[in-house]
Amino acid sequence: MIMKGQKRKHPPEEVEISDRSSPMWESQRQLVFSVSLNKYHHGQELPEPSLRRSVLIANTLRQVSLEAFAAPSVDIEVSPPPCSSSSALHKSVVTAKQHPAETFSNSHSALVSCPTVTLNDLSYCVPASNAPLSLKDEDEDWGSLSKDSDFSLSAAISSILTALDSTIDSCSQAAPRTPLRSLENLSAPSDGGVAWVKQGLRGYGGGWEQQEEGREWESSTELMRCSYLSELTVEDLFQDIDTSLLERDMEVLGLIGSGGECPTGDDLLRYLPPFSSSPSHPFSLSLNQNLKCLPSLSSFGPLSSSLPSLSSPHFSSQNHVREGLDLEHLMEILVES
Amino acid sequence: MEEESDTRKINNSFLREHNYATEADIISTVEFNSSGELLATGDKGGRVVVFQREQESKSQPQRRGEYNVYSTFQSHEPEFDYLKSLEIEEKINKIKWLPQQNAAYFLLSTNDKTVKLWKISERDKRPEGYNLKDDDGRIRDPSTITSLRVPVLQPMDLMVEATARRVFSNAHMYHINSISVNSDYQTYISTDDLRVNLWNLEITDRSFNIVDIKPANMEELTEVITSAEFHPQQCHTFAYSSSKGSIRLCDMREAALCDKHCKYFEEPEDPSTRSFFSEIISSISDVKFSHNGRYLMTRDYLTVKVWDLQMENKPLETYQVHDYLRGKLCSLYENDCIFDKFECVWNGSDSVIMTGSYNNFFRMFDRNTKRDVTLEASRENSKPRAILKPRKVCVSGKRRKDEISVDSLDFSKKILHTTWHPHENIIAVAATNNLYIFQDKVN
Repeated sequence: MIMKGQKRKHPPEEVEISDRSSPMWESQRQLVFSVSLNKYHHGQELPEPSLRRSVLIANTLRQVSLEAFAAPSVDIEVSPPPCSSSSALHKSVVTAKQHPAETFSNSHSALVSCPTVTLNDLSYCVPASNAPLSLKDEDEDWGSLSKDSDFSLSAAISSILTALDSTIDSCSQAAPRTPLRSLENLSAPSDGGVAWVKQGLRGYGGGWEQQEEGREWESSTELMRCSYLSELTVEDLFQDIDTSLLERDMEVLGLIGSGGECPTGDDLLRYLPPFSSSPSHPFSLSLNQNLKCLPSLSSFGPLSSSLPSLSSPHFSSQNHVREGLDLEHLMEILVES
Repeated sequence: MEEESDTRKINNSFLREHNYATEADIISTVEFNSSGELLATGDKGGRVVVFQREQESKSQPQRRGEYNVYSTFQSHEPEFDYLKSLEIEEKINKIKWLPQQNAAYFLLSTNDKTVKLWKISERDKRPEGYNLKDDDGRIRDPSTITSLRVPVLQPMDLMVEATARRVFSNAHMYHINSISVNSDYQTYISTDDLRVNLWNLEITDRSFNIVDIKPANMEELTEVITSAEFHPQQCHTFAYSSSKGSIRLCDMREAALCDKHCKYFEEPEDPSTRSFFSEIISSISDVKFSHNGRYLMTRDYLTVKVWDLQMENKPLETYQVHDYLRGKLCSLYENDCIFDKFECVWNGSDSVIMTGSYNNFFRMFDRNTKRDVTLEASRENSKPRAILKPRKVCVSGKRRKDEISVDSLDFSKKILHTTWHPHENIIAVAATNNLYIFQDKVN
């Protein structure tokens, strides 16, 4: 059963296996998971992905992930054939399990966040149990991390860092260079930091509404700047950064919000991750809120079997100092590279 | 329409009359008009080709009214959305005819974003004998005019003109997947992934949104609308299908916004057939009311289901289109075939239903006799005026002669679009860029 012109491949399986205890079920699940992941990402790369297709793939991803968790013994290793993306994919699996909303700039292993894998449902950090988790349980387990806003930001951070890790591991393709490219073109390290974040978040906007994509990441960029450079105040930050870009973005958003058929202001605001606590300014910062969920950098090491350790304790405020230092160290690396 | 029992059996009784090879582009929709006299096709290049049935002549009774090209026009052009920096495809997604009210024909055609109302009219006379200009059109010198004459209509070669009478645009943020004309002949609905809009045929600058399933937070989106259709007799009733395998029947008299359905049709999932792809294959690709308005037919990836409007918890009948693909779903998911959207169609008397499959196969199911047949639309297997031979797909190891094994099916040849003449047993089948018209042989 082949498309014309394609080489015949040995079909992975002939029958759909519904018996979960069967070893074939797990391998099939992993195959479906990896295929779905690739499909979703490739779909998002299109200028205008089909909404129906994206929704179906996302739902399949969610279902596969949930079923994996509900299975008696779960081997979380994903084994995609191409070695070049294996480490990146492993990391994507790890971080996907950690954080509900993830973003990757690595084109081969990106699980673009936002609507799809509204991976509130994905909580691999919860201790494994035989009973399938309900959404309610997962929310309770997350505790203070019940807000999508926190996840979005931490997800964005973690994704960028993960992509960098994969680059450093030198087991990656050309795509991970994307976040670094802007650095190379810039003269000033401070500007480089900002632009780097911006570049890395390019994939973040991948969602259902293309027309809002650009504005969405631009606004989240601003928050990104402030959230992970935890020791700086907002004013300090903006002194170094050219805010003309930000002003232009605001104008664009204002124009959008003034009506018309295409994305209304309400739609736009609704689509944006709800990380604003102040109603007066849609993009106001809530530093404390964001700082809480900064993951420890050490959690992004090579995939290990100690996944249960990547659980809620990491997301306590006690890690802030360490995280701040780690981030500074990372920034140095980025600047130098 | 009164129900007549169709006593003719569906086997070995179809002739192939013509193969209209458009060659240029992939056909994306086919539709007979309400009388069956005209057949419209839309293609990926934004063109509409209308075929007209020849009048049957007594001198040549065996030529039972062939379909010839009547009009060709460019309905939609590729556009560019400057706000989103996206190209808007000119592919015609759907064509729906309006009922004929005068000598001209009207149809609605739509691409992803814009619906257009086209008027197709004939001109077979032209005025001749103007005073101020020659028949060539040159202005006459007034000083040479010595007498006045009355222009006279003279016959000319038939000319068929298509003019765009209305353009309904800027109402859809997402891709339009279907349009449906109301039985009141004044309104119609256009449906995209998340919304259904109600239009008046005369008014182009505004439409009413009657269904909106867009969530406040797009991250929570898990279901989209796949198709919608008005009830054939009740002008206040319409149905829409979803990607999760459900159909909602709505009554526009209840509220302005029909988010709340009055009937909800969904079959509970069979746990024994559950797989990773259960949701994808349950996604409904087409929904059609029967002509008598009592039934609904839905097409999902592997089956066609007939629902009684009075029974919401399960379908009345389920027909397996190509169940041999159930074990291949993973491969079909990988090569994207699992996302193919097949259409389904009723015959005029609602006794037979038809839908397409792969390898240029299409299937017919007789609801009364419960018999079904698989036929193939291809040039190699059909000679002109030959009777179509039923095909069979071999599922077990032993393949008989003339059977085709599942692994030999060509998944690039898919029949997604079919239509059935409203009164007679004439069907039109679109196989990629070829149009096949089949007629029932009368003994």
